Amino acid sequence: MSTLANPLGTPHRGPASAGPRSAWLAGPGVRYLLLLIPSLMVIGFVVYPTVETVVHSFYQLDALGRVTGFAGFANYRALFAEPIFDTVLRNTVIYAVLSVVLSIGLAFGLAMLLNGHGLVNRFLLVGIFSPTVMPTIAAANIWLYFLAPQLGLFTRLLGDLGIQQANILGEPGSALGALVALFVWKYAPYFTLFLMAGLQAIPQNVRDALRTEDPSGWQSLRKVVLPIIAPMLAFVITLAVIYAMETVDPIYVMTQGGPNNGTNLVMYYLYQLGFNYFSWGPAAALSGLLLGGLSSLSALSLIALERRAFHWA
Amino acid sequence: MGMSMGRPWRRRLESGALALIALVWGFPTLWVLYATFVGTGSTSGLTLSNLVQAWNTAPFAQYTMNTVLIVGGLLITQGLVGLVVGFILARYEFPGKSLVTAIFLLQIVVPVYAVLIQDYQIVQGLHLLNTRIGIMLPYMVSGIAVLAFRQAFRSVPRELEEAARLDGYATLGVFRRVYLPRVGPAAVAFAVISITFHWTDFLWPLIVTNSNAARPVVVGLALLAEASESGLQWNLLAAGTAIVIIPVLLVFVAGTRRILSSFAATFDWH
Repeated sequence: MSTLANPLGTPHRGPASAGPRSAWLAGPGVRYLLLLIPSLMVIGFVVYPTVETVVHSFYQLDALGRVTGFAGFANYRALFAEPIFDTVLRNTVIYAVLSVVLSIGLAFGLAMLLNGHGLVNRFLLVGIFSPTVMPTIAAANIWLYFLAPQLGLFTRLLGDLGIQQANILGEPGSALGALVALFVWKYAPYFTLFLMAGLQAIPQNVRDALRTEDPSGWQSLRKVVLPIIAPMLAFVITLAVIYAMETVDPIYVMTQGGPNNGTNLVMYYLYQLGFNYFSWGPAAALSGLLLGGLSSLSALSLIALERRAFHWA
Repeated sequence: MGMSMGRPWRRRLESGALALIALVWGFPTLWVLYATFVGTGSTSGLTLSNLVQAWNTAPFAQYTMNTVLIVGGLLITQGLVGLVVGFILARYEFPGKSLVTAIFLLQIVVPVYAVLIQDYQIVQGLHLLNTRIGIMLPYMVSGIAVLAFRQAFRSVPRELEEAARLDGYATLGVFRRVYLPRVGPAAVAFAVISITFHWTDFLWPLIVTNSNAARPVVVGLALLAEASESGLQWNLLAAGTAIVIIPVLLVFVAGTRRILSSFAATFDWH
């Protein structure tokens, strides 16, 4: 007797359907076949380009990106010899550290607040999560408007507060600060989504017990909440580092790397090397470094997650 | 018990903090809607003229159609691949399974932007520059989708599958009747991640396209912004932004709680 739904109204198929055709469908050959094309897609567009990028970084490349000879470490030396690259690295480190720390800190606080609140007003939720659905390009345009000298909303607000003639995007320091603020605004809500999911793992009775035993919450935060949420926190921090390192859209719109390369970050510089200067050799070297750094970071965090949560096969 | 005394205070403080964050975080969106539909100029009152003007200044109809086709196409291919691969990885043992799993994890691990140049050359070699397929190609398989669906399939009790098999259902029937109805939250969470990522993706489509035939709306908006930078037509720019964000915003408003609870169910990794 079938208790399962039969929404399409097709006649109930009896044991006869478990004939040769379905045996073939369930066979290992079909499974390999189904896995083949998706695997080849990933190999073609992820694995092969990764290997190719690393290999190319040791070859001389012409303006069209074609291999013209072996280069050894010449591309890497050329990359590091460029004085701008030091500035780019320093900017990137400052930007990434500030962005990751501030966005994760805020996301954690927000996740705790929202989780403790049960049903939060829909409009509050939409307000908080609206940056997540706004393309960075669109957000950067709006921020550009807010921060424009003299005319911008934020600039005029500063003027009312007595800070005259503020040109936030005109100074290297404050321009980088504006990019950090944009990152925090854009990604803190997104990270909150994941951290809220992580906090769900704390059983309700434990939460209730904590609320009566430890009203201030610090002890329970340290001893109960943090250990439970640690894997998710590691995952979200990894995401944040990757997103921060990949930042390019707001630079393209708001500062073009300026003033004086003060907001030139590593991914924007890579884009410039390749598509503005056609200097593909150093671009390949920089890609290789980014690949090595970022993929080993996320591989570590995913392996940790797989072990604990996905039961690595 | 200090609780009963302290609690309403604390709760009010928390609500205040939430409201403040919602206001600050939602302000740019509010401003876009205000500048588009009310206008910041001398005229006042509700108007659609900014929206119409922006729509006519750039080929937004073409851009929007491109974005919808790209995002929708990717959602379908990533979803189908995720379902099939996720199911096989969740329910079967076979030689080489770890290797196959690792391949799909690599898709998550390797940052797309770092292989951008190589992918560009592949798409160029296939003569697919300036096409929607060319934009979609590197993204057609999503490791996140595979992992999300695999996790959802794993949490389906084996007894349900055995019962369905006793009822005479073959693999496809079991998949459709037992497994498919139980991946709703994973599908919603994956769809949100996929749609928001590809709807807002900028650098890759910028590089791959150089004509309006395949350009998505975000690239079109950036070009509009570049063109208007000298003239500073902010109302126009706000309206262009509104065209980009309103569809996604409506989806989010309609499904706020569903989306939040789906995230909680899918990423409850414990």
